[in-house]
Amino acid sequence: MIQDAPALVVEGLTKRHGSGAGAVDALVGIDLAFARGTFTAIMGPSGSGKSTFLSCVAGLDRPTSGRVLLDGTDVTHWDETARTRMRRERIGFVFQDFSLIPYLTAAENVALPARLAGRREEPETVRRVLARVGLEERAGHLPAALSGGQQQRVAIARALVTVPAVLLADEPTGALDSATAREVLRMLRAAVDDLRQTTVMVTHDPVAASYADTVVFLVDGRVAGRMVGPSADAVAAQLAHLDQLTGVAR
Amino acid sequence: MTALALRSLRHRPTAVVATFAAVLLGTALMASFATLVESALGAHDDDRELLIVMGAVVGSWGALIVLFSVASTVGIVAEQRAREAALLRTIGATPRQARALIVYEALVVALLAAGVGALIASIAGGALFDALQRGDLITSASTYAGGPASLATAAGVVVLIGTVAAMISSRRATRAPAGISLRQVETPARRLRWWRILIGTLLIASGVTSAIITITVTGKADDAYAAMQTSGSASIVVGVGLATLAPVLLRLLATPLRPLLARSGAGLLAAENTTRRAHLLAGVLAPVIVLVSTAVGTLLMIGIDDRTLAAAGDPEDVGGTITMINSVVIGMICLFAAIMVVNAVVAVVTHRRAELARLWRIGATASQLRTSVVLEAAVVAVIGIVLGLLASTATAVPYSIVRHEGLVPNGQLWLLPVIALVAAMLTVGTAWGAQRRPAQ
Repeated sequence: MIQDAPALVVEGLTKRHGSGAGAVDALVGIDLAFARGTFTAIMGPSGSGKSTFLSCVAGLDRPTSGRVLLDGTDVTHWDETARTRMRRERIGFVFQDFSLIPYLTAAENVALPARLAGRREEPETVRRVLARVGLEERAGHLPAALSGGQQQRVAIARALVTVPAVLLADEPTGALDSATAREVLRMLRAAVDDLRQTTVMVTHDPVAASYADTVVFLVDGRVAGRMVGPSADAVAAQLAHLDQLTGVAR
Repeated sequence: MTALALRSLRHRPTAVVATFAAVLLGTALMASFATLVESALGAHDDDRELLIVMGAVVGSWGALIVLFSVASTVGIVAEQRAREAALLRTIGATPRQARALIVYEALVVALLAAGVGALIASIAGGALFDALQRGDLITSASTYAGGPASLATAAGVVVLIGTVAAMISSRRATRAPAGISLRQVETPARRLRWWRILIGTLLIASGVTSAIITITVTGKADDAYAAMQTSGSASIVVGVGLATLAPVLLRLLATPLRPLLARSGAGLLAAENTTRRAHLLAGVLAPVIVLVSTAVGTLLMIGIDDRTLAAAGDPEDVGGTITMINSVVIGMICLFAAIMVVNAVVAVVTHRRAELARLWRIGATASQLRTSVVLEAAVVAVIGIVLGLLASTATAVPYSIVRHEGLVPNGQLWLLPVIALVAAMLTVGTAWGAQRRPAQ
């Protein structure tokens, strides 16, 4: 691990779905670096490539060309098993649908990545990370007994427990009401501030994006602009005029 | 809703095939024996009793299994639709409409399958009658008279049971408010309903009672076959009884295996799944129990009968024929139970696709997922085999005692490992195959 390297770097990331005349370019030469301890929101209209970007970074999908460097290590050409290991050890992932395992309790869900890696998470570690998301009282509950917001907080605890190089969040508040969403966003923000957890969040919600340090706008698979220290109003205004942004970028 | 049901059917071939196969085979089996009862009405006096006994008694063994498996297949299929039912309700379908969709689907498939099954039975019933006549069990004075009445009755009963099962399951699928059912990907574990516990307990009690009656009453009768009439179905009845209680039994018996499994990540998943999701995997456990209990119990009984008939006295000299018919019936029932095992395993694994994808996303390797599914199937197979062997003693032990072979039959004990192996390979092999198929 190179200490000074950004937590995550993508160089010339391109993803093409299909081939020939029907090919669709989901990502076209994305260059981005995410410094340690930063919180970045990735925004853009539907079909802009936000989710494809996250899938390629997490190794859920293979880029057509370009490189992904995690902690300074090129992981682009790792095989399926190596990428799976990377996902459970070096990446924390928070999904819109929570992706909890329904027959495991909150604590067991949090300890699962370690178990899959053949380790046992210290009970104390699990307790501490659940306490961080305010759910130590709920450790023994199955997901079905938790509210949507609580389930997402368990998912955040599961993503944080391995101390990942980068936490990726794909529309983490997409399935939540606005009050619960704010709670979840505050927790993501706290992880960045307290733990220096590098976080990349895909969202279409300007309020969610305003919790980030930086917003990157994607349009048609290209980086169309960025905004530092975003406010919800400024992000919303920018989203309304993305066409102008693309004009500038081109 | 009918049009929607027909359209939806074309998009779920697995579910359709499972229900179709269960109803088809069920109708074929039940209707074949029903034709014997119809033939009995016009038969020669000497033959009437045998035909009624064959048709009604032997047929009802099969009927029990057929109804059980049709109900469980339709139940599994309908339960899988819970999410879709919720989706329909969010766009304005009433719970009644959503239920109607599930029930119509089951009804359409069941009607088609029962029709084909009845057609098969119209030929198989005649063949069965011929076999009885050739074996001199029926005089040539009687003629085969199976017709639309018996075929339609049997088919109707199977369709009715399938529809009722779909109704019960669909009610379950639409019980919660629409929003909640849509969010909850998981079918919640629920306590076994009181009537299911009652039925299961009654079946087990009645099987055990038959076993006791065999030893104390019918075993001492002059008629060498009196004991077979009471003990023959005991293992099947106890097996079906245990199968009815399968969710409870699986949770109970898989719990001691947890420390053994939980050493690896994949094993942990299997351990949690078999105990906390026993209500889903019970669909696999049930037919494994029935398969093993029926096959072992009845085949051991036939073996004992073969060895001891001469000593017990066979005045009518019908031993060979009865063995032959027993074997055919048992063969059909086992084939049926085996298909049920395959159906249930495929249904359960298909149901888990989304969850397996989720596990993969958070870092389970493909080989861990494979191992976990196969381990789970292995746990269910082992428990099913143990329970099935237990149930088989309800037939084998009493019959062995009344035919003076003692507690344990004198021969054919190789059947136990062979049938256990077949059941295990069927369960684990199907799970292996089902998880390999790419997600749709």
